[in-house]
Amino acid sequence: MADQELTERLEQLISENEVLLLMKGTPTEPRCGFSLRTVQILDRMGIEYGAIDVLPALQPLREVTSEISDWETFPQLYVKGELVGGCDIVEEMFASGELAETLGVEQPETPDTPESPADLPAQSPPLDIERN
Amino acid sequence: MAADLDELKAMIERALPGSEVVVLDETGTGDHLRAVVRAPQFEGIGRLQQHRLVKAAVRDRFEDGTIHALSVTTLRPDDPA
Repeated sequence: MADQELTERLEQLISENEVLLLMKGTPTEPRCGFSLRTVQILDRMGIEYGAIDVLPALQPLREVTSEISDWETFPQLYVKGELVGGCDIVEEMFASGELAETLGVEQPETPDTPESPADLPAQSPPLDIERN
Repeated sequence: MAADLDELKAMIERALPGSEVVVLDETGTGDHLRAVVRAPQFEGIGRLQQHRLVKAAVRDRFEDGTIHALSVTTLRPDDPA
């Protein structure tokens, strides 16, 4: 059973912020690669958004979002009071242009998501260094 | 305990009969996995619900700490690969 006070507080924040990101760390100091990638996309959209660092109350917040959104992992992006998704969904929607539509902004000019190390397959053994 | 990719694949396939599932170890360290799932059950439902179905299928392995991060890519039967 999720903490009632925390639930009410979070619901209030979700309703007060048109775009709200629940993340590990802060936009300037993300503490998890998935949160970082989501922040990078939001920054490219050129929008203002609220951000909450979930780390100080990770487990209680997990219980709250599990109840209110049926979603337990972070980051979580909320737009106009609705859960949009986590990093995977945000990245897919960014690539397809749906995210810009959801946010009501223009798609940035270079729609390709920059390849971050996490997107690349596992590194091959050092032999590869000799390739060129 | 290391994640067993074949077990995760089997858990998802069991929860979503008729699905095609690939589970990848993206970093080679066993803690950042990706499941690519093509399933008929995804027809007519949104991405959030598709992801919920996949996460629910492997919930036990999250709860026992075997896996920490599972990225999910969902495809409907007619989506291009």
